[in-house]
Amino acid sequence: MDVAAQLTELLGAARVHTHPLDRLIYAKDSGVSSGDPAVVVLPETAEEVAAIMLTAKEATMPVVARGAGTGLAGGAVPAPGSILVVLTRMNEIFEVDEIGLTAWVGPGLINLDLSDGLAALGLHFAPDPASQQSSTVGGNVGTNAGGPHCLAEGSTIAHILGVEIVTAGGDVMVLGGAAPDLPGYDLRGLIVGSEGTLGIVTRVLVRLTENPPDVVTMLISFEDIGDAARTVSDIIGSGLVPAALEMMDGPMIEAVENFVHAGLPVGAGAVLLAEVAGHPDGITAEAALIMQIATTDAATEVRTASDEDERALLWKGRKSAFGAIAQAAPDYYLNDTVVPRTRFVAVLDEIYAIADRYGIRLMNVFHAGDGNFHPLVSYDASEPGMTETVVAASHEMVRVAIAAGGTLSGEHGIGIEKRDLMSEVFSVDDLDAQARIREAFDPEGLLNPGKVLPDGSRCFDRPAR
Amino acid sequence: MTTLRAATLRLFERLHDETLAVDAEHVVAPSSIEEAAVVLGVASEAGISTMFLGGGTHLGLGHRVRADLVVTSTRLNRITDWQPDDLTVVVESGVSVEALGAEIASRGQTAVLPEWVTGATIGGVIATGMSSYRRLRYGPTRDRALRVQFATGYGKVVIGGSPVVKSSTGYGIPRLVTGSFGSLGMIGSVTLKLWSNPPTTSTVEVDDAATAHLRTYRPLAVLETSEGSFLYLGGTAEQIVAQARDVAGDSRHGLVWPEPIVDPIRIEFRVPPGLVRRAIEHSRRLGASRWVAEHGVGRVAVGLGALDDASFGAARSWAESVGGALVVVSGGEEIDPWGTPPESIEIQRRIKQAFDPSGICNPGILPGGL
Repeated sequence: MDVAAQLTELLGAARVHTHPLDRLIYAKDSGVSSGDPAVVVLPETAEEVAAIMLTAKEATMPVVARGAGTGLAGGAVPAPGSILVVLTRMNEIFEVDEIGLTAWVGPGLINLDLSDGLAALGLHFAPDPASQQSSTVGGNVGTNAGGPHCLAEGSTIAHILGVEIVTAGGDVMVLGGAAPDLPGYDLRGLIVGSEGTLGIVTRVLVRLTENPPDVVTMLISFEDIGDAARTVSDIIGSGLVPAALEMMDGPMIEAVENFVHAGLPVGAGAVLLAEVAGHPDGITAEAALIMQIATTDAATEVRTASDEDERALLWKGRKSAFGAIAQAAPDYYLNDTVVPRTRFVAVLDEIYAIADRYGIRLMNVFHAGDGNFHPLVSYDASEPGMTETVVAASHEMVRVAIAAGGTLSGEHGIGIEKRDLMSEVFSVDDLDAQARIREAFDPEGLLNPGKVLPDGSRCFDRPAR
Repeated sequence: MTTLRAATLRLFERLHDETLAVDAEHVVAPSSIEEAAVVLGVASEAGISTMFLGGGTHLGLGHRVRADLVVTSTRLNRITDWQPDDLTVVVESGVSVEALGAEIASRGQTAVLPEWVTGATIGGVIATGMSSYRRLRYGPTRDRALRVQFATGYGKVVIGGSPVVKSSTGYGIPRLVTGSFGSLGMIGSVTLKLWSNPPTTSTVEVDDAATAHLRTYRPLAVLETSEGSFLYLGGTAEQIVAQARDVAGDSRHGLVWPEPIVDPIRIEFRVPPGLVRRAIEHSRRLGASRWVAEHGVGRVAVGLGALDDASFGAARSWAESVGGALVVVSGGEEIDPWGTPPESIEIQRRIKQAFDPSGICNPGILPGGL
């Protein structure tokens, strides 16, 4: 019996797809790469995932896990001839512990559905990637996703206490848990951000965060982006921990304002969206401190959201960046890199110089508090060679970030698209160490092959020179 | 050992350090992680069991290690790259927690390292995975170890993680190394994420820690101890005054932490945060002389004069039944320090094997004898 037939026997025909059109639907995530799986399956339980894994192991077929496919680095692109395990049906909220502030959820649960489901309890899931209306918790785990509020709250890793995985050997086990510092290696910490290469996550124990009693959101405009950058440093240096510090540069402001009409200051060099959270009687002082710092640093205007609607509008402006850019051209390439915060004005200049040289249209949004850049290129992929040009320019931008002491990715992951840049930030021995970890979890190399680590990372794989 | 003595003396004479009173045939103090890697390479080939020594403050933690070679971090004692405006510092493993704290305090920053240890090194804190009481606000040490450089058990220098405050670039090796108790190799240096100290801090004595925790937004710590319950706040003066008023306690300026527990036997409950009170009850039943319980975290550090095997067994069974652990931190030599090994022990064994193929690095220290 062939693998598709075995899987059909296991899951039923409705949850196993082999037709080319069905496979095409799952050929790519939101990046630019694509691949063709042999079969697409939609399990509903960890036991089914384990059975799929055992089937794959017996047939020596690669297995690629996927959530909503919002990833931007190609991490969920099916390997050729693979079994693509789509986890979106595993989307339950199982248990909520209101006292311990934890919940077990399925990997296919949509990020925002989790927070919406907890709203009545005054709780939320802190990681809030721009994709949160469609990305899944499992996908967030895979890429160690971030978002504006991870400045104060930390990336996804800080909110994942435990995971249930199906191992490459087909075993189901729990790593980590609600208790702190469990004895033994922190395998949970390896799974988060491993992009489906170490195991398939079938349940997630998330940390829940209490909603702030009060929030003040400010929109601060600057003529010069250097002043905005200095403001970010001075705010953080003051000892305040703002809930968010987001920045958009001039071209981005213009694109967003044309799209959402949030009243953004078109013509400004940069805007900073700053948010503080805390006790209603104390929060005004924190907001005042931020305004004072910004004014000292030559802000031209500080606008405070006077009610929840205005706050929502300001955030809509920030979160609509990717929608806005769709107006300019049919396709976009969103980069993700991190530099030491103090270097980002210099790096920005270099990034624009690269865009000019390649003749591409560029705009920028940043998680400024973390030095996390998102250069956004709008282009038309139907133009011959254009995708290649954009990718080449983006890789150059990443190299500029590395030269400034930065790294490849802050929150999107490595996937396929940055895999071959890994050797620019890690030595042969560093990559070998990572490959050893992968081998410890997946000795046969069945899980999401070809992602994260470049070929030949394990030292003995490398041809002798 | 003769071979090793000859090799280390010949190749690393200047590393040899006889001044430490450690029970091992050889003590070496490399002055770079590259030197440490060469030492480990030799030890690995010769099958020499090796332990790593920082401040020696937590030698009792984990299974007892019998080592023929001790590698100390005494000469890895520099703060190599502090970038206050980027909130990062690169620090060698032999630097003491106090020395780093004093240096970065000059710019009002903190690495949020444990408040209750004296004499520990950064390498020791990372290796044991100890966290500050302020982890409630800033997260555990593991989340602030951005990048780690270490010498593996197979004698190579490896860097894992990224030099910046946020990253999704490759596997979380710093998290793996944090809490690995030197079982994968020797830590050379770590890049830590720093925080600016809040403009104002306050310690508020409260009647009930759990209620105070519920009523405050993002306190630095909430401790229930044998001496009383305390809420630790940080922020603008207005923020602190408003929060302290809500819990109606006696407020003192600054952060006043409990005295360290120094009883002959020290144990730790690590349980889901909602079960801290139950862990305190178990501590009392064990005859605790002192305890410090971290609300919102789930760690309860307990000091005991003596250990009764049967009661300890019952307490450990309870802790494990709720998904936690009861760990012996110091004393109680006859008892397994960790308890039941984790479900993932086979993968853990393969990780150990991958980084320490000869099994020479702190052999047996971890759960399951890894």
